Amino acid sequence: MEPTTNRAAWDQAYARVESALKAADVAQCADLLKLEEVRVRFLGRKSELTELLKSLKDLPIEDKKEAGPKAQALKSAFEAQLEARKAALEEAGDAAALAQDAIDLTLPSIRPARGRLHPLTTTLEGIADIFQRMGYSWAEGPHAEDDYHNFTALNMPEDHPARDSQDTFYLSGVKRLLRTHTSNVQIRELEKPGAKDKPLRVVCPGRVFRHEQIDATHSAVFHQVEGLVVDRNVGLADLKGHLQAFLEELLGSETKTRFRPSYFPFTEPSTEVDVKCFFCPGTGCPSCKHTGWIEILGAGVVNPKVLSMSGWDPEKWSGFAFGIGVERVAMLLHGVRDLRDFYINDLRFLKQFDEDLV
Amino acid sequence: MKISSNWLKEHLDHGLSVEELSVQMLRLGFEIAGVEHHGPTFSGVVVGKVLQKDKHPNADKLAVCTVDDGSQKWNVVCGAPNVAAGQTIAFARIGAVLPGNFKIEGRKLRGVESQGMICSRAELGLPKDVDGIWVMGEGPALGTDVGSLLGPADDVLEVEITSNRPDCLSHRGLARELAAALNKPLKPISSSLAETLSKTVSVSVEDAAACPFYGARLIEGIKVTDSPAWLKARLESIGLRPVNNVVDVTNFVLHDVGQPLHAFDADKLNSGKIIVRRSKSGEKFLALDHKEYVLPENLLVIADAERPVALAGVMGGELSSVDAATSRVVLEGAYFAPAEVRRSSQKTRLRSDSSYRFERGADPEAARTAAARATALIVQLAGGSAAKPAETAAPAAKAAPIKSSAARINAILGAEFGADEIVGALKRIAAEFTGDGASFVFTPPSWRRDLATANDLAEEAGRFLGYDRVPYRLSPLSPKAATTTPAASAARRARLHLASLGFSESYNYDLLSEKAQAAARLSSDNQPRVDNPLSEDWAVLRSSLLPGLLKNAQHNLSRGADAVRLFEVGKVYAQKDGAVTEQWRVSGILLGPVLDARWQAARAPRAGFPDAKAAVEALLSGLGALSWAKPGEGAAGKRVCDPLFHPSNSLRALLDGTPVATVGWLHPRAARAFDLDREGAVLFEANLETIASKPAPRVKFREFSPLPVSRRDLALVVDKTLAYGRVEETVRSCRIDELQELTLFDVYEGKNLPEGKKSLAIRLTFGRSDRTLLDSEVAAFVAKIVAALTEKAGAVLRG
Repeated sequence: MEPTTNRAAWDQAYARVESALKAADVAQCADLLKLEEVRVRFLGRKSELTELLKSLKDLPIEDKKEAGPKAQALKSAFEAQLEARKAALEEAGDAAALAQDAIDLTLPSIRPARGRLHPLTTTLEGIADIFQRMGYSWAEGPHAEDDYHNFTALNMPEDHPARDSQDTFYLSGVKRLLRTHTSNVQIRELEKPGAKDKPLRVVCPGRVFRHEQIDATHSAVFHQVEGLVVDRNVGLADLKGHLQAFLEELLGSETKTRFRPSYFPFTEPSTEVDVKCFFCPGTGCPSCKHTGWIEILGAGVVNPKVLSMSGWDPEKWSGFAFGIGVERVAMLLHGVRDLRDFYINDLRFLKQFDEDLV
Repeated sequence: MKISSNWLKEHLDHGLSVEELSVQMLRLGFEIAGVEHHGPTFSGVVVGKVLQKDKHPNADKLAVCTVDDGSQKWNVVCGAPNVAAGQTIAFARIGAVLPGNFKIEGRKLRGVESQGMICSRAELGLPKDVDGIWVMGEGPALGTDVGSLLGPADDVLEVEITSNRPDCLSHRGLARELAAALNKPLKPISSSLAETLSKTVSVSVEDAAACPFYGARLIEGIKVTDSPAWLKARLESIGLRPVNNVVDVTNFVLHDVGQPLHAFDADKLNSGKIIVRRSKSGEKFLALDHKEYVLPENLLVIADAERPVALAGVMGGELSSVDAATSRVVLEGAYFAPAEVRRSSQKTRLRSDSSYRFERGADPEAARTAAARATALIVQLAGGSAAKPAETAAPAAKAAPIKSSAARINAILGAEFGADEIVGALKRIAAEFTGDGASFVFTPPSWRRDLATANDLAEEAGRFLGYDRVPYRLSPLSPKAATTTPAASAARRARLHLASLGFSESYNYDLLSEKAQAAARLSSDNQPRVDNPLSEDWAVLRSSLLPGLLKNAQHNLSRGADAVRLFEVGKVYAQKDGAVTEQWRVSGILLGPVLDARWQAARAPRAGFPDAKAAVEALLSGLGALSWAKPGEGAAGKRVCDPLFHPSNSLRALLDGTPVATVGWLHPRAARAFDLDREGAVLFEANLETIASKPAPRVKFREFSPLPVSRRDLALVVDKTLAYGRVEETVRSCRIDELQELTLFDVYEGKNLPEGKKSLAIRLTFGRSDRTLLDSEVAAFVAKIVAALTEKAGAVLRG
């Protein structure tokens, strides 16, 4: 196709566009809306600049060589101006918006209503959980128990003096008592159909009852976690190993323990386990009654009489058992000084136990 | 039990400090509950004499005394009313230090120089005798250090003896234990007795099984007086009050060797006879504690020809007691069967040092020697002459020998003690020991009735060789993964659900009063009762967890809480046909605004029925088909503590048709009883065991359509009394498969609505998984639904 535009006419058009662009004064454009108008006016499909560029094709070849880059440069410069102004306007706009958005950051948080588990639950489940990880299955037994499972089968016959230390609530007219310890579950598990002559490993958490006046350190209702392991060739050493592992898990790997002889009718040998006081550096304080040690649990090798009474052959099977006072551990862990606080259920008390849910 | 360190040294040169002694005892299994130091806790106090007492010039209640301390005279201002010239007193010189680090300095009192202090016993940390200063009596030279007059310092240990070790309930008993542990010899007890009196007491024992050994010895011509200082000091050191030389000797021997003895005034025994027999019902017995006991039948008593003079092994009688006028005594040394003494002590609620030892098991062979020793001491201190004892039966048979081996002992302990060590330790406590580590026979001494099995010997070996030498072993390996019970996992799930809904957990006692049950409108008729309650507040086992939670709510409101959201997981009880049943429940109470709304609290809604319903839905979700019924509306099964709930504003939840929970308002009468009548409390109680019986929910993932859904909102004007459930039912009855969701998003009553009407706003969500619905299809669904609502629920579209 022959060129239809001559150079002079094109140059004129160029000068017009150039001065129009100058007049539009992009750098001073007041807001983004105006800037868009300017952009459409010069870069829209029918705009002068677009037309100018389109008309390049009608110029003779030699003129194109010179006019082409010239027009492109004009366009690029304009586009650059547009971009720069746009960025400047947006930045100014953001700053204004940000300034306006400012909220009161010091207002207290709002969260969905959140409940707390009772510290005795977290302590009891925490204890049981450690043993479950060590392969102890959870077991339970009745609160209203008969004399046989609570006493006699645990080698505490009728006139046994050890019964004195476990003052008992008796129920009227039903030959039942409120269990004085979770040790009744030991017997229930030993007697369970199908349990006999298989290794047994249970942890038995639960509520127990003693006929005691309630004060800061005594409760007529409290909780224990009982444990029982029966297997081949189990001895005091296994008890020490398991309980040491448990206490390190509960109280930390640095926990120092002391196993000293004691007496329970249903274990022989028996032991009480102390941990090094974690309130003082072993120098003595009220928490450890100035001894440097805190009594944490009672345990022992299952008395062979207990096994044989429940129909197990003590020549083949042996075991160990232990009992942990949940309230005692919770008091030590949380610094609660009065047992009764656990049973008043004051929200000011309960809400403090803001630990992870078990 | 109190153990004096000095007294212990009479039996064993243990060579241990009191700290070392405590550690050693603990290693042997005896806890030390406390240590008291006896002895002067002051210095610089000397014996002085008040030479002269003058009135203080400026104070009516003060005197100015001249005190001679043996080397010098001092002016001392004293305020005690009992101070007088001529008295021998305890004088704290300038520079003396009294208990509590109280330093004595020279100072002016009301203008008069005081050069020291005349002390009371209390000021010296000694047991108080009279008010005012300590008047010491003649004797010690002036200037003698008062501390040196108090006898040697002593440490007294409070030792806790476990119930299997009655043989350690004496100084000799513990010394024996320490001797075995330290491998040191016990000192012999020297005692010589001349039995010069040729008279005997008539003794008959009617039940030889209850009293295998009884010895009674007559001592005549005694003079009952105060005991000598050494004996008083021994008894006082362990907190006993001296009585007279005869009684003190029996107490001394009890705490020295552990054998309870009793001295009767022989002249107060009718016909001078001693009969060990069973009590007759209604027999009266005036005990040494000055109380009269009406005995039930069949207790073992010591009687004279007419009446009981002692409850065997427990306590003597007032009417036959030794007093200042006594000149002839019958000294009893006996062994009573533990069960007998325990029963007597329990039936009469009478306890003594004697019963404590007998019921745990005294040494059957100690009665004779201990009584002989006591007799010798009585003759020595009170004069007179003693006869040979009248004795019945022989001491009980020897304990059965135990056959075992070092290997067996090590197996029980899981230890690797040397056979020599084990044999050595056991030999030290055996009456007889034959054989060696490979196989031995151990015969326990008469005082060790607790030793009967190889396990018992293992404990002995462990104690003497050290539990700390038993290794830590982590076998056996767990045979299988630990399991849990359905109830335990259901309880755990319930707790987490409720805590996440804002409920905090309560722990209440299982026992409560019948009154508290009644206040919650619950009957106690079928409740197990405690035979021996601590008080009426603890008489009945609970039938619901809700009374406890109501009490907790009331407690928190009265202490300023404005919202309460509590739950409890626990057991409830019932008694039927002579059996007690127990059931796990989970219950909750809500009242007041939603918790933790903080500065939006003013706009926070108050908890109501729907919140409680949400809790129950959370507990039951995924366990089966949940439906709701009004209590009493045809659902089978028992009501779950319904009387506590508002009769119309409560619902029963059914799981697969079985009632499992009740939820609703608190009955207004119960609300008043718990002072919650203005609070709008809502509650729920669910049977956790029914929940536990369902398989734990396992979520099955359902594909959802990636295609867009169509939503339509309808505002329906209906009668105010129309239940929303009717709307839901009607919509469902249209059976439109494409209806994916129906939600109620507003309930409005009030302005712009006709009288007696309310507006329910529902949102309908339609969709298909294979294609997008056309507008026309959705319009047809909506039309069908609206038509049904108009027809069946009388609904009119609003606006």
